[in-house]
Amino acid sequence: MIWRENLLLHIKLAATASASLNSQSERKERESEMVGPKYDCLANPLGAVRLTFEKAIASGADPASFDGKDWGAVDLFRQFLFEDGALSHVPILNPTTIKWVQPNTLVRFRGMIQDMLGNEFYAGAYKDGSVWRTNKFMDVCQYPMGSSPDMRIWERRLLYCVPVPGQNSWTESLSEVAMNKTSQQREKRQRMEDDASNHMDLVLVDEFESSPSVKKMRENGHASPSSQSKDSVIEGTSNTNFVTNAERNSLPCLVKIYDCPESELKLNEVFEFVGVLTLDSDVMADKNDQDESSYGFIEDELVHLPPEKVPRLHCLIHRKLDVNDFLHSSPMMEPKPQLVKETRESLLRHLTSILGNDGIAAHLMLLHLLSRVHARIDNVAVGKLSLNLTCLSKESVSVFGNQIRLSVQNLLPFTQCIPLTVNYLNTASLAPKKDYQTNRLIPGVLQLADGSHLIIDETQLETGTLNSTGVENARLLKNLMEFQKVEYNFEYYKMEMIADVQMLILSEGKSNIVPADLVIPFQPSSAASFEVVPAETLEAWRWYLASVRSLPHSIESDMQKVVESDLVAARQADRSLGGQDLSRLLTMGRLMSASFGETSLSLEHWQMVKELERLRRERLK
Amino acid sequence: MTQRSEDGADNTDGADPRQKMPPEIKRYYEVYIRASSKGRPFSIREVKASYIGQLVRISGIITRCSDVKPLMQVAVYTCEECGFEIYQEVTARVFMPLFECPSQRCKINKTKGNLILQLRASKFLKFQEAKIQELAEHVPKGHIPRTMTVHLRGELTRKVAPGDVVEFSGIFLPIPYTGFRALRAGLVADTYLEAMSVTHFKKKYEEYELRGDEEEHISRLAEDGDIYNKLARSLAPEIYGHEDIKKALLLLLVGAPHRKLKDGMKIRGDLHICLMGDPGVAKSQLLKHIINVAPRGVYTTGRGSSGVGLTAAVQRDNVTNEMVLEGGALVLADMGICAIDEFDKMDESDRTAIHEVMEQQTVSIAKAGITTSLNARTAVLSAANPAWGRYDLRRTPAENINLPPALLSRFDLLWLILDRADMDSDLEMARHVVYVHQNKESPALGFTPLEPAILRAYISAARRLSPCVPRELEEYIAAAYSNIRQEEAKSNTPHSYTTVRTLLSILRISAALARLRFSETVAQSDVDEALRLMQMSKFSLYSDDRQRSGLDAISDIYSILRDEAARSNKLDVSYAHALNWISRKGYSEAQLKECLEEYAALNVWQIHPHTFDIRFIDA
Repeated sequence: MIWRENLLLHIKLAATASASLNSQSERKERESEMVGPKYDCLANPLGAVRLTFEKAIASGADPASFDGKDWGAVDLFRQFLFEDGALSHVPILNPTTIKWVQPNTLVRFRGMIQDMLGNEFYAGAYKDGSVWRTNKFMDVCQYPMGSSPDMRIWERRLLYCVPVPGQNSWTESLSEVAMNKTSQQREKRQRMEDDASNHMDLVLVDEFESSPSVKKMRENGHASPSSQSKDSVIEGTSNTNFVTNAERNSLPCLVKIYDCPESELKLNEVFEFVGVLTLDSDVMADKNDQDESSYGFIEDELVHLPPEKVPRLHCLIHRKLDVNDFLHSSPMMEPKPQLVKETRESLLRHLTSILGNDGIAAHLMLLHLLSRVHARIDNVAVGKLSLNLTCLSKESVSVFGNQIRLSVQNLLPFTQCIPLTVNYLNTASLAPKKDYQTNRLIPGVLQLADGSHLIIDETQLETGTLNSTGVENARLLKNLMEFQKVEYNFEYYKMEMIADVQMLILSEGKSNIVPADLVIPFQPSSAASFEVVPAETLEAWRWYLASVRSLPHSIESDMQKVVESDLVAARQADRSLGGQDLSRLLTMGRLMSASFGETSLSLEHWQMVKELERLRRERLK
Repeated sequence: MTQRSEDGADNTDGADPRQKMPPEIKRYYEVYIRASSKGRPFSIREVKASYIGQLVRISGIITRCSDVKPLMQVAVYTCEECGFEIYQEVTARVFMPLFECPSQRCKINKTKGNLILQLRASKFLKFQEAKIQELAEHVPKGHIPRTMTVHLRGELTRKVAPGDVVEFSGIFLPIPYTGFRALRAGLVADTYLEAMSVTHFKKKYEEYELRGDEEEHISRLAEDGDIYNKLARSLAPEIYGHEDIKKALLLLLVGAPHRKLKDGMKIRGDLHICLMGDPGVAKSQLLKHIINVAPRGVYTTGRGSSGVGLTAAVQRDNVTNEMVLEGGALVLADMGICAIDEFDKMDESDRTAIHEVMEQQTVSIAKAGITTSLNARTAVLSAANPAWGRYDLRRTPAENINLPPALLSRFDLLWLILDRADMDSDLEMARHVVYVHQNKESPALGFTPLEPAILRAYISAARRLSPCVPRELEEYIAAAYSNIRQEEAKSNTPHSYTTVRTLLSILRISAALARLRFSETVAQSDVDEALRLMQMSKFSLYSDDRQRSGLDAISDIYSILRDEAARSNKLDVSYAHALNWISRKGYSEAQLKECLEEYAALNVWQIHPHTFDIRFIDA
């Protein structure tokens, strides 16, 4: 009986709400005809969407032709953001900005796609009387929807995005700046255009407040706030599984993607989404309904993602982020040969001093930092170069290990560090696992964005017994190192996901758990010197690493002959060399020439690689 | 019933339709609509908004299943006042029970008769919900498998269990939100599939249905003389070389017919193969590829399988507290192929049980009051590392292999893949590596490998035949067998135990070869090839021995050829035959040519200038 009353109440509410909305929007439309700028893409993106839709309908387009297509709204925003340069004014969503960002405004979110929740079907366009209306880019229907036969059902994809794991603080400073800028802008604008924008804000506030749950809370008085708080307590306890500690300080986001080919957005890729922020707050209030039908599986997985913790973003435009996008001064520098060489020298000096004047290790470290997977051929990830620094004891790792970690953190955008102990191996969940109860992918440590750097500190490892989890984890690490693949556990089957992670291992002897491509005994001749690096230099290094990494590469045919004969000679000299070792030498050749900013392998660089390899092997003896 | 007829009389004066008996309550049949089985079923990803309300066919794996619950279809009430039966049809998942009697009599009397739900008169339907998830192979790279809810009613319930790979046909429907959620943008976010039929997947070879074009393709392939090589090369085409091993694996896929003797004894037809070798020689890739090609295959590691292990285990069910028998990998691979990686690291308990599986093809269990034997008619393909990680050439093969002879004798073929290298292969490898780095792709294979689907179809077609050995060949096989026995007796260090099992192996491999030719009888060439494969597999293990034996290669080849010619009482030996014989002894084609030239110069024989056939000059 209760639900029936509730329903009646809701219907009444919705009717009043939509009535007020109607009048408001009409008023606004009338106004928009008079005032020059018709809409504010930043503060009222939905208005812009609506107007473009109405324009498209007015020009005689059939709503059926919009199935899985855009009618010009995205183009409008693309022009607004990129050509008019408004992108930097769009606030970035993070734990600080979420407090003041208004719902139904334009925001952007930078993050990694952690999970894909599947499709959501919605009534995209429907006929309200004689007028076609759209629900695209919104959660809550703005007008009451009769069960009209003229309804187009469209779909959108739900992506669960989290801040990139291991993102270093220097990448965020940019967003901080942008945020301040926009808030200033906002104030300025508010002062300038007093009447119109005031009005707009008012509309916005009303829209939000008239969303049913708020009203419901208000009208039901004390009863419902208490129930809500109780619900949130339950939420807190039951969701501890997947809202991990790391996630609590950072802000995940549920991004809804419209009309774009699936292949464009892949798991673990880092994207910037620009879209409409909604706080779809009625899911919470739904809890009562949920209980009724909870005997079945048809449960909204969104229930587990409360909007207070996970905001919704209706994505208008997305773009893939490269490391360059995290740099502050990326566009200004051109890769001039001289500049590249100078930067290389200074970075190498820095690495050498950090590694206690061990030149060979510094060279290898530089190559390692430049490595990435270029291609995958027959299960072999070409281009990876993992490095194992051996001869590090527990004492020396506290000095050098920290130095290395700090400088890597300063140089690369995404870094992680795993202290490898028996206990860690036995307890940690490295691989992501699918939880069929909540229908979510529980993240694992090894779910990393492409281009992440991973330091594995094996010096803490002591003798002990591995249980089955430990064995599995060790296998995962080994697979990641060898094939750059991580097996995700889907219970009924495992799926291999490709990864691109640079791995650096610090160990006392040669690591057998994670056998790296390059093993070099670390021989420091002096203590690590701590130097304060000026910010511009750091910036230059970051830029150098990011841009040189992506250079193309080729081997001329004469050079190919030289390389081939050298490889055969090497294999004749040492029978234990396998295909992997030969491949590694070629990778080193590529990285060496790339580190000088060159795109084809020269004899000089190939000689350098051979010399480096000779020195390394000498040290191994 | 009397009341119901009275009811009918009432209806004449336009009473409430709820007093009429709905047709559902009398319906004792269920209607299902099957989607046409033509074409490929959809993956869940491909079912888009435009398919809402349509009959679709999807395939996937079941991840969750609810209990089977009754779903009320028609609720029947009786009125306390007037005694009428009131029917209410339930079409949604949630319904509002009636409380006041709507009958004419109650209305007129204004009694507001109290209705009591009659559970025994109401009609219920079995109802089950399941979640189906995309199969790993349908998920594009870099995506997460999608799921879909499936509603099963009536007779379709209890047809699926979590982990089953199934194909559903059904109607893709939205669930309109009820109550408050209906206001959310008119969302029809939840959709489900109203199941109409269920088919279980991963059929055995015997049930494999050939499509029209496949049949044509196969017959075209069968006419091709080189089909044996072509099929073998198409197995794991990205793995370079290892042609004989691939041939052996192809024969493992094909297998020989099972034989059941009159006295009830069974002789297995499945071939067992063990690959042994240095780490990093692509053993695991070969195994995984074979499992991919086989319609029913289980890949496991000696250590990796769960508590059930490889064979079977008796476990206590958590819910019912009963003892249940759970099959391990070998039982699950019944009538298929079981690939066991890290065979040498297997648990001791499994290793004892595997003896039985490999010869008797059953798993017997006598634990916790359950005594039974499960079928495990599976071909075992195993991979193992040598005892010290790498193959140590200074030690004997037996020391390196580290598996008991009783187990080894059960393998029809045992291959050793060593990471040996010479100048040519080094250059080959260097070229390959440079090519890969330069062009970001592997070099062209020089032939187009057959698709796994075609391979599967061809093999399943071949498996329908059961070739027999003709009488005239029996002698030949017996002679070959006794030859091997004698050779073994002569050598002072016998490396293999040639037993009756070996003879059965020869027959099995020959039968598999005959199947590949789509022939009902085994030919002599099949037996020759079988002997050659067995010999090659042995030489992969003991190739160093022959260098140690005093005889030089050329004169040894001559004596082999002369013996063979004498045995068959002929003066002509075809080149192909000669090559077969000498390669059985572990010599190369180059050595044969050298021998031919040398002895032709001595006028011992004449060589045909084009075909290289040999004719002995009778002295």
